[in-house]
Parts: sequence; structure tokens; C-alpha cells
Amino acid sequence: MKATSEEVKTSVKKLFEDGSIGHFIGYEMGSDSLRVTPCFLKSGQAASRLVWNPLCANNLSKYLLDFGKVEGKVGIMVKGCDSRSVVELLKEHQIDRDKVFIVGVPCSGIVDREKLLAVLGVSPGEVVAVEDDGDAFLVTIKEGTRRVKKEQVLRGECLVCRYPTPVIYDMLIGEAVSSLPWVGDDYSSVKELEALSSEEKERYWSSELSRCIRCYACRQSCPGCYCQQCFVDQLDPHWVGIKIAPQENHQWNTVRAFHLMGRCIECGECQRVCPVKIPLMLLNRHLLREVESKFSFQPGLSPETPPPLATFKPDEDLGI
Amino acid sequence: MKLPDTKEVQTEFKPKILAFCCNWCAYAGADLAGVSRFQMPTNVRVIRVMCSGRVPPELVIRALANGLDGVMILGCHPGECHYSEGNYLTRRRAHVLKRLLSYIGIEPDRFQLRWVSAAEGAKFSAVVKEAADKITALGPNRWGDKR
Repeated sequence: MKATSEEVKTSVKKLFEDGSIGHFIGYEMGSDSLRVTPCFLKSGQAASRLVWNPLCANNLSKYLLDFGKVEGKVGIMVKGCDSRSVVELLKEHQIDRDKVFIVGVPCSGIVDREKLLAVLGVSPGEVVAVEDDGDAFLVTIKEGTRRVKKEQVLRGECLVCRYPTPVIYDMLIGEAVSSLPWVGDDYSSVKELEALSSEEKERYWSSELSRCIRCYACRQSCPGCYCQQCFVDQLDPHWVGIKIAPQENHQWNTVRAFHLMGRCIECGECQRVCPVKIPLMLLNRHLLREVESKFSFQPGLSPETPPPLATFKPDEDLGI
Repeated sequence: MKLPDTKEVQTEFKPKILAFCCNWCAYAGADLAGVSRFQMPTNVRVIRVMCSGRVPPELVIRALANGLDGVMILGCHPGECHYSEGNYLTRRRAHVLKRLLSYIGIEPDRFQLRWVSAAEGAKFSAVVKEAADKITALGPNRWGDKR
């Protein structure tokens, strides 16, 4: 049984009633029928606003950092990927496990808004609702209902998702999903790029990164980027200048990727919010693959495992 | 008097290499190489740091993004760190950084981590020479053209 909006509403209402939580972070419908926005509740009465559908893309875990000083527990709705970022926040001592109540919802893929609109050939206003139906989405548009294969319209991260069910939760709504049928060799795009020559790789990334306007939306949306002062905001040393220049873009994007090495949990928020569509997940996933193969480490699975760069084995051979 | 035509002057490529040397080993090794009068290429600019673990990836990337042709980190041999484990952590970090740089199109040889003890003056000069040769063969850093 898949979780439905109704189940989420009643469960959250109940949590407020029995005093388990004082606040709740979930999703509500946004400005049009293809947009879902974060929703912050202080009481069970407003729980009717909550929704759960294949449009709930945001990773809400970053908002937990803003709730550090509130009374009582904070409830949060997490998908598989989001739960892993909660684990990372716990590991890095950014949140207190006793202060959060994690409501897990197994997820079988989130819709990529742009892909869906392109496949259907409609404008956002024409879509009424999107529902999950096994290996496809049922999209209700004004003229009727259409079935769209998931592979065509899923977000890139969902196409390679290995943890559809939350890895940590206090309550699970709906049945656990063990694996997703479309996930195969999930590092193929990374391998493809790796196989190119240095010159080709440099050309590829220079052209992709040349679009970067350094708006830092990737940082703002990333649950791993919570530093009080990010290195780009520092004036002394001035790591990234204000110049509109390729070297500053390279500096920002490579160091950002490095800082998330062994911490990125593939929620894909950075890429989703990028206004110039830089394939940031290609960078992140390359480093993920590296830590996985070299240090047998996967982030966001257990709060006890130390991060790979904070530990070492004296006799390991890294080819240096 | 005829002035030399600047266009005719053939400038051969001389890479600029930055070397972060650990105060306790490689820096003393560099000193020993100098005192022992070993021949070395002059491409290397040395920056003394207290430990190879002191060098954050930001510095390496900044150097490359600003057009340097190569960056080296020279530290104590594993197990001989003055601060017990700084170089072990550097080893992991440098490995990942090297892979990241190679993924975005910087040849792996442009960034090198080498172990040189305070007694290895000869090794210091050999390591520097090897790096200079490799980077000269690679040619100028492509990021440098974009400045």
C-alpha cells in the first residue's frame, strides 16, 4: 500500500493531538498544480493542508537546523534520500535525535516538472493532478487522464535511487519499497565522462561551469551546506573573488563538490534548483563513487560511521 | 642600433610549480638539497607549512585556477608525521582531490603528493625534477588560458 495524502494528514493530526510533536515540516500544494512547497505547521488543525504525491521534490531536512531552539519535538516528513541527509546531520551533530520525530514515506520516484511538461506537450496550468501508478504516473489534464511511463519523466536522481525507503524513521507511512525496477548500473553517466581525455573533460566542464552565475542556490538548498560562514563568503582569505571569470566558477564548483565528498546523499537538490542547469550531480556522484570504491563508504546510512576523510588506515595503498 | 624583434624570441615553456613543504621534513629536505648543491630545476616555488595536513584543497584548486601549472604537497613519510597522523589524513584527501581534478580535466600529474624526509635532500631534488619534467611535457595549464 502506498502512502496517501489522507494518511499523512490523519497521522500528523494524531501526532499533534497526543503531544508527540510541537511542530511539523511537510509539503503543501504550491502556486500551480505541478508545484509543491514546504509547509510548516504549529498545530494539528492545519494538518489538512499537507499533501504527499509524486511532486514532493524538496529535501526538507535542512529546515531542521532552523528549529534547534523550539519547544518540543519537530516532526518532519522524509523520503528515502531525505532520511539519509537527516542521518548526516545527526552524524555531524547538527541536530538532536531526541528533538526530531521522523515521519518516513517510502517513495517510488518524483516527477521532473520540465520533463513531464515536455512529454505531455502542455502548459503547467493544464495539469490537474499527478498520481503514482506502479511503473507509470497517472496525469490528469483538462482533457482527461494520461498514463506516462516513469522512466520518461522521473528526476535524474530517482532514476539511480538505491534507497527509496527511509533508512531512519520513528513512523513509516505506507509500505516499504525495497528497490526500484528501473535502477541498473547507476554510475554509467559518471563512467562515460571519466573515460574522456583530459582535454575533452576540461572542455566539457568549462562550458558547463561557464554558465554558473554564482547565485549559490546549490549551497542554500543543500542539507550538507550549513556552515555559519561558507568559504565563499570569507573575505580573508578571499577564496572566491567577485570577478565574473571562469577561474572563480571553477574554484566555487570544485571546492563545493569536494566539501560534499562523502557527505552528499544524492537528493539532487543542488541540481534541481540550479537556474542555469549545471549537472552538479555528475560531480557529486563521481566523488561518491570514489569513496564507495576506495573507502567502502556510503554516506547517510548510519550516524555512527565516521566520515571517510576524518579517518584512515595506516597501511592503505592509495597509489601515492 | 637595431632592437631585437620580440616575435623572434622563442620562449620555451617553463612551468610554474607550487610546492607546499612540511616544516619538519620536506622543507628541511629542500634545505639539505640546497646545502648539498644538488642540481634542481628552478620552476618550483616553495611554501613552508607546519604539516602537509595543513594544506586544504581550496589552496590547491586556487593555485591551479589562478594559472599555476602544477601543485605539489611534500610531507613526512607515513608513520613519521610530527603530529602523529596529519599525513595519513592528507593522503586520503589528496587521493580524492587528485581524482576530482582529473575528472574536471586537470591532468593527474599536475597535482602530486610526495613523501620526503629531512635526510632526503637527494630525493627532494629528484622529486622536483621529475615533477618539472612531467609538467613541462604536459604543457601549460588549460585553466591558465582562461584568466
